[in-house]
Amino acid sequence: MYLALFLVPWVLVYALSTIVMNHRHFFQEWYNHEPVEWTLEREIPYTATFSTDAKRWMVAEQILSDLNMEGSHGARGGLDNQITITRNNTVTPQRIIYNPKTQTLRIENQAFRTNAFLERMHRRRGYNQKYLTDDLWAITVDLFILATVLWVVSGLWMWWELKVTRKWGAVSIASGIALFTFFLFTI
Amino acid sequence: MTFNHINRRLHLYLALVLLPWFLMYGISAIPFTRNAYFNNLYKDGVPMWTTRIAQAYKRPAPKDRLPDTLQQFAKEVVNDLNLEVTGSLGAHQPNDKRINIYLVDFRHHIRITYNLAQKNIKVEDKRFRWDQFFTTLHARGGYQQDSFLNDLWAFVVDMISLSFIFWVASGIYMWWHLKQTRRWGIVALGSGFLSFVIFLVAL
Repeated sequence: MYLALFLVPWVLVYALSTIVMNHRHFFQEWYNHEPVEWTLEREIPYTATFSTDAKRWMVAEQILSDLNMEGSHGARGGLDNQITITRNNTVTPQRIIYNPKTQTLRIENQAFRTNAFLERMHRRRGYNQKYLTDDLWAITVDLFILATVLWVVSGLWMWWELKVTRKWGAVSIASGIALFTFFLFTI
Repeated sequence: MTFNHINRRLHLYLALVLLPWFLMYGISAIPFTRNAYFNNLYKDGVPMWTTRIAQAYKRPAPKDRLPDTLQQFAKEVVNDLNLEVTGSLGAHQPNDKRINIYLVDFRHHIRITYNLAQKNIKVEDKRFRWDQFFTTLHARGGYQQDSFLNDLWAFVVDMISLSFIFWVASGIYMWWHLKQTRRWGIVALGSGFLSFVIFLVAL
């Protein structure tokens, strides 16, 4: 019970985000199939020089460090053109575009959409980033997974202890398993 | 029959009916979180994709990249190739030169690559992997497929999601009526929300 109470926010986010993903088509039409907008926060000079063999991830980490924006991110592009870093903030993801030729950084914020936010939270994992907060988040995801298995086992045990519900409980389990198995072999 | 009684019974029977999905979503989240581990397990030299058909093909590209247009285009291509849609059908156009079409059921994945520039098409079968079997189960949803059974699966996914919300509400109601667990329950609930908000800010 206490584990369930602790994990209430995770349960709600996973449930609501699943509804959003199950009705993605509706949300795409709601937004006229337009991608999420990015709005310019600021454009600043950035005079750092990188050696030509500097890796993209090194450049991205340095820029985020210089901007005090360290955290989960991804990067694409190269020094020969421009590097785009996406800082994966949960509520407002940010995009930093580094142009080595003009020596500028363009920092943009993603417009908030509830469905996009919920999908981000659903897909967020961790462990693949080097930041402690991401590892801690990943641990909570693992905890949630363990909790679901524990709730199945403990729920079955509690049901079995309630003799009065055994018959209809067995019917419920059997019908659920039958329907699930049917789906496995048909779609 | 009191409200308490109905609440407890609905909480229980709903959970028992939806138990396979509940367990599946829990277990199938593991391959998502341990993706690299499972990829390493299958580094055994067996190719991920095996070509079934590779031939010349010509069909005018769809007029736009809207999901409905691409979906209709994918159906026509699948029809041309005499392939059967057993599960779900999806299409993706990454650029003007290529369209990817996917035929996915829980046990089998087919990828069709239509090269618009070279006017050829390739049909490939994906090797079976247990981790991908579970991730396919986990990710399946949506009402955009034509078949009734696909819609029924999507409906069950909605039911699961609504049930989660119901279990939260009914669980909190049942907990609140257990006076001896209120204090530690409040601590658990409060620390859960606090941790979650901290993650929202700090991540």
